[in-house]
Amino acid sequence: MSQPLILIIEDEASLRRFLVPTLANNDYQVLTAATGADGLAMARSHNPDIILLDLGLPDLEGGKVLQSLRQWSRKPILIISARNQEKDKVQALDLGADDYLTKPFGAEELLARIRVALRHATQAVLDTPVLQCGALKLDLERREVSMDGVLVRLTPLEYRLLEALAQRAGKVATHAQLLNEVWGPVGAGQTHYLRIYMGTLRRKIEPDATRPRYLLTEPSIGYRLNVD
Amino acid sequence: MALGSEARTLRLVHTGFRMAREQGRAWVAVHVAVPDWETPGEANQARVWLQEARDLGAETAWVRASTVSEGLIEEGARRKASQVVMGKYRPLGPWDRLEHTRAQEAIQRMLGVRIVTIPLDPPAPRSGAVQTTADLLGVVLAIGALLGVCTIFARALFTAVGFPGVPPVFALGVGFIAHRWGRAYSLPASLAAVLAFPVWFIPDRFPYRPEDWDNGLYLAGALVMVQMVVLLIDRLHKETRLLRRREAETLLVMLLGRALARCATAREVALVLAERLHGLVQAQAWMLVPGPGDSWLQLPEQPEAPPGPHPSELLPQFSDNGSRAEPFEPLFMDSCTYVPLAGRGGAEGILQLRLEAGRPLPPESWGLFQSLAVQGALALERVRWLDEAHQARLDTESERMRNTLLGAVSHDLRTPLAAIQGAATSLLLPDPLPEATRLDLLAMIRDESDRLARLLGDLLELTRLQSGAIQIQKEWQLLDEVVGSAVLRLEARKGPQPIKVDLPESLPLVPLDGALMEQVLINLLGNANRHAPDSPVELRAWEEPGFIHLEIADRGPGIPAEFHQRVFDKFFRMPRTLKDGGVGLGLAICGAIVKIHGGAIWVEDRPGGGARFRITLPLDGLPPAQFEDHPPATLGTQP
Repeated sequence: MSQPLILIIEDEASLRRFLVPTLANNDYQVLTAATGADGLAMARSHNPDIILLDLGLPDLEGGKVLQSLRQWSRKPILIISARNQEKDKVQALDLGADDYLTKPFGAEELLARIRVALRHATQAVLDTPVLQCGALKLDLERREVSMDGVLVRLTPLEYRLLEALAQRAGKVATHAQLLNEVWGPVGAGQTHYLRIYMGTLRRKIEPDATRPRYLLTEPSIGYRLNVD
Repeated sequence: MALGSEARTLRLVHTGFRMAREQGRAWVAVHVAVPDWETPGEANQARVWLQEARDLGAETAWVRASTVSEGLIEEGARRKASQVVMGKYRPLGPWDRLEHTRAQEAIQRMLGVRIVTIPLDPPAPRSGAVQTTADLLGVVLAIGALLGVCTIFARALFTAVGFPGVPPVFALGVGFIAHRWGRAYSLPASLAAVLAFPVWFIPDRFPYRPEDWDNGLYLAGALVMVQMVVLLIDRLHKETRLLRRREAETLLVMLLGRALARCATAREVALVLAERLHGLVQAQAWMLVPGPGDSWLQLPEQPEAPPGPHPSELLPQFSDNGSRAEPFEPLFMDSCTYVPLAGRGGAEGILQLRLEAGRPLPPESWGLFQSLAVQGALALERVRWLDEAHQARLDTESERMRNTLLGAVSHDLRTPLAAIQGAATSLLLPDPLPEATRLDLLAMIRDESDRLARLLGDLLELTRLQSGAIQIQKEWQLLDEVVGSAVLRLEARKGPQPIKVDLPESLPLVPLDGALMEQVLINLLGNANRHAPDSPVELRAWEEPGFIHLEIADRGPGIPAEFHQRVFDKFFRMPRTLKDGGVGLGLAICGAIVKIHGGAIWVEDRPGGGARFRITLPLDGLPPAQFEDHPPATLGTQP
């Protein structure tokens, strides 16, 4: 694959100044836009492989930009947002953003997230029905979960929850998305269902439930299946 | 205790309240509705008194029974009453007294309880209301019978003492009729008496002799006089009734005023008003008040008010220079009545009323509703002032906080900034630095900017917490998850930390804001590890009915008792504290977060050395329902 094209829609010059050389130095082609309108135009004309979108743009609300993009593009979108914007983040994720980064963030974190997003984009479905992260092995075809080769017995709901997380391996899944996929319409708003089953799932999978290694919590937002 | 519909009944309610409080007992206010006896107006009035009793902490009951004592016995037995408080009108006639005593004895016998009576003024006399033709027939028959009895008496007297015995008998009879059934019936009765005279008392019937004419005229004159007296008495009764109604209305306005005084928001004002008006006239009521910007709010929001003219069109009608002669009079449009909520500074809003079947408000109640509307307007005005005063206090507080902050923080902000600036400028010097020094400086820039970011984050967080700008989002959570997330985040920042977690699996779900409580745990665990780096921090939790307890204990140097309170103050740092300690915001944030959760946080000495932070959170509200799941399949997870 040639150098992936990244579009950065971010109004702050200093952040662009840090992002552009960092990304260019890691074999990405970089485009920048300082406003939502410019960003939308550039996305249309260049069709980038991944978009970094700041939620606090001067002209358009980040959510609006995201909605416009999602009307025609399925490419990964990474949200950049300030701290304490949990509501906006959840909204953006529910609108179809792939992941988020909270300012301030370091270069390693940024690169890691971009890698996950791109990897996910190139394989629309998992290329194998088996997902291996550390000692945890998830066989989606045979509907089997094992730790270090030992089968783990899960209830149907626990399994569906794990499966929903695996569909987004490495990326954050919001409460609303998980509830909808596991419980359907009756789950709307019932985050405690999620918490209870995440608790039992952790007890079965995590070696140390107080220091989860696979099932990470994103406070106020959702959960993430850690694949590193 | 039993209630009537009279204004004086309120004394009974207050006595009941006082007695219940003195004896430390629960109390129940009972209204016994006797069918065919109570008018709708009286029933409404009784509802108002029951509402007042509820406000004073009573349970209330509305009992239907054929007599008051029967209703009281039934309800008293059901509630296992230990005492009955009743009103007793004074002065009582002998007949009433006998009946009252009998009722009291019956209650005492049946319930075996103590009865307390409270003297009350007598009720306003009732006029015998005639509503149906059957009633009318009954009344006519009764009057006829009464006149017949009078005639028999008069005839006996006539034979004994001659004519002078006749007029007083008929005068008495007609007077009683006027008193019992009203003036309208006494007039025909008088005529009947005058006409009956020649038929019954003149032996040869026709023609009249001249002396009999005189007697007839005399009788007629006596009856006219009786009519005049009856007229006066009737007027007196009417005025007494009006007075009683006024008194009840005044009390109503007073009670409403008191209920409104307890309201802190416009919505509460609207709810109280709607509830009272519903109790009073079975009307639905809404307040239309100006909202943010140019919008108007309907309070309470549920149920939806019937559509009507826009409040901004109505308002000019209620102003002094509007088109109407009496601008504050209620306005009836499209099945609803509108009353201005007129406060000191003009209309605070509009009261929208919908009576049963969309009837207009009868003009005789306008005065009452205008008074109630004024009470509502005053309450709205007060709520507005309260809001403004609260805002002003917040402004002063945040201003003060800004000043303190500038003083205390400028040093803490400058230190990392100086380091970053120094390192960056060194790196930009033309002479290249040795590789090791370069990496060291870069690492320093990273660490110091981390510190700056954390400091700024904490400051923002605390400001938002204390300004009330944060909306706490309590959700039912597993403590495991919050603790796990906190530990992970702390270790991501500072590397592996010795933390021992002990959470029983039986812990219930706890209503808390996950993101905020995680912050509390990170701060407490981080502090503990910093002060006691060599021994593990222990975190445990346990349940007590209604509460959840969290404890974070370390084996560090501990906190001297004199600082146990002050450690939670912002910018407080203990003397001789570690150099890399924070700026004194961490525990202040913990305190603020636990406070908005409705919980408590404190620190104490740990037996055996060290500090022990305790958090208590209320388990308020009902735990949510669980979702049914199936047990795990026997093999793998085959569905």
